[in-house]
Amino acid sequence: MVLGLIRHIVVTVSEMMKMVGRAGNKDVAYRQVFAATMKWLFPVGQLRQRFFFSITSLMFHVAIIVVPIFLAGHIALWKSGTGLSWPAISNGLADVLTITAVATAVLLVVQRAAARDSRALSRFNDYALPLLIAVPFVAGFLVMHPTWNPFSYELTLLVHIMSANVLLILIPLTKLSHMVLLPATQLVSELGWHFPPDAGRKVAVDLGKEGQPI
Amino acid sequence: MQTRDKYSYYVEQTALDVTDRPRKFLEAFGSVLKHGNYGAVLDTYSRVSAKCARCAASCQLYETTQDPRDIPCRRSQLLLRVYHRYFTHAGVAKARLFGGFTLSDEYLDEMAEEYYRCTACRRCKATCPIGIDHGLVTHLARWLLAEIEVIPKALVVSVREQLEGVGNTSAIPVPALKDTCEFLEEELQDIYNVDIKYPFDVEGSEYVFFPAVSDFLLEADTLMGNAAVMHVTGGSWTIGTGNYDGINYGLFYSDRMLERIVNNVVAEVHRLKGRKVLVGECGHATRSAWFIPTFAGPDAPPVVNCLEYAYQMLEAGKLPLKDTRIEERVTYHDPCNIARTGRITEEPREILKAICKDYVEMTPNRTRNYCCGGGGGTVSIDEIRSFRTKLMGKRKADQIRATEAQIVVSPCANCKKQLREVCEDNELNDVEVVGLHDLLLKVIDFGVPEPKAEQSAGDSQSDEQPEAGELQSNVAK
Repeated sequence: MVLGLIRHIVVTVSEMMKMVGRAGNKDVAYRQVFAATMKWLFPVGQLRQRFFFSITSLMFHVAIIVVPIFLAGHIALWKSGTGLSWPAISNGLADVLTITAVATAVLLVVQRAAARDSRALSRFNDYALPLLIAVPFVAGFLVMHPTWNPFSYELTLLVHIMSANVLLILIPLTKLSHMVLLPATQLVSELGWHFPPDAGRKVAVDLGKEGQPI
Repeated sequence: MQTRDKYSYYVEQTALDVTDRPRKFLEAFGSVLKHGNYGAVLDTYSRVSAKCARCAASCQLYETTQDPRDIPCRRSQLLLRVYHRYFTHAGVAKARLFGGFTLSDEYLDEMAEEYYRCTACRRCKATCPIGIDHGLVTHLARWLLAEIEVIPKALVVSVREQLEGVGNTSAIPVPALKDTCEFLEEELQDIYNVDIKYPFDVEGSEYVFFPAVSDFLLEADTLMGNAAVMHVTGGSWTIGTGNYDGINYGLFYSDRMLERIVNNVVAEVHRLKGRKVLVGECGHATRSAWFIPTFAGPDAPPVVNCLEYAYQMLEAGKLPLKDTRIEERVTYHDPCNIARTGRITEEPREILKAICKDYVEMTPNRTRNYCCGGGGGTVSIDEIRSFRTKLMGKRKADQIRATEAQIVVSPCANCKKQLREVCEDNELNDVEVVGLHDLLLKVIDFGVPEPKAEQSAGDSQSDEQPEAGELQSNVAK
């Protein structure tokens, strides 16, 4: 997963540098691009359109980003493995966020299926991924609350870890890669309009159309 | 030869004669990816597109039709799917192992239809959390389709005339151009008692003027306004007889043509030893001219839109105005090509606020404005008028109706034609669609007494200025 994501970042950055290098006009509206990027990295102002869907999506994202990184148990693992450590959130908050993650994951799927436009766009993985993401959260919640857990502790922990591993593998291979590519997408779109000069003539040569009447 | 058997727009016979289209399409695609900058864009888009459908809520076409085919993300997916299947390792491997999607003639026909149901207004880009620019995808898809000859006849005929024929999209020869300008000079003399000249081929002028050439046939008032502004501000400008057309349909269907047409503009400026490109009231001509640094390098002449010029002069106090103001209620339509990125939104508003008594905004506006419905060259395709005005233009009509304005100002030849048709087809019979310089002309103070008795600015306009038809008859065919 780490290698996959690093590859994404390296490839994207080098592609973008190539694009700027080839572009005839190197005057890129970086400030505008940066503003658009920040707007969507922290999309609090963008909730009015499709209000419920947006709120659900925002809560979902916050929960699945915060809990895995700031759960005390996870930080303890990092510390024993690498010596790194950072402040944790309380387990109570983690519980609330975990329930939020699971609930919003289910809601996202329901909303996706319920609205005709998103239904028309959706592929199998658009339904499967949120549910798959919910699995380690459900299992993790049961691990944290053994008294409510009808299954064996070891089995639940195994499901928790293995499902999370599956997700980590899937991240670079699926649309989940937006977790590292999102900061770059606005810039990529902008650079797309920065054409290399003479590209049209080269294409015409390739296709044997140079000098042909229109 | 022309035919409309296959698509909702006419194409030329050559489009129907092409064989082996999927292979040729993919060849063109490969070549464009090799020489252009689109590869990384498509790669990123096909990886991260989350299919959240937020764009659906911002597309004026989908809002009206509620047809899933009109969702921007779905339309872009048509091209992304081809890209993924044929130009990524994962897609090629998957196809080897499991078969599945193969590019077919029918699929190309679907693309041909869908990518001309989008005006590339780019309104949806602002609502995409990922920042996917569906307008860019439409732009590219149309180029690739053009390489298998799928181009609306209206567009390709114009470009042929411009690059291989008379030299401009309306096929106006130089003598007719000069006749028209003489006629406009006489009109200015008769109505405003002022001697204004259209300067031709003046070497070393600061500005070389490139309006939408169709203005010479259809928009007399706009051109008189342009000349009047240059006259009272003492601007050094000229019209080059080698090239006097700012229109660039290459922007709508082929980067190859876009570059050739842009280079012709630059060549004319160099021939006249001019310093800057002054673009008339035309959205896509302005945006095309903004590509000049792309193709002509860092020494390219700077581009100034006539709105920017007029506003600059107004601010500097060099544009004297009469005490009379436009009485009617006026609203402003932002042309996507100049307003979507926020580049020209305030200048026209400041001018309008200075010259109108009752200026109102339509909502939404500026970078979030609805497209007139005829963007991306579709306004030139007469045979899809009902699509443009009833489906694409429905939101626009509602928006205009809500302002209760009598005059809609839009500084864009395409928007004006489309908006007039939108008003006609949506029972907005009392709405007049004009350019900004049309109104400006009425209130410029030339410092000379007018020949006729004092009338209010609004009345004198409708009585005395030439109608488009009148002017057209004056132009040699």
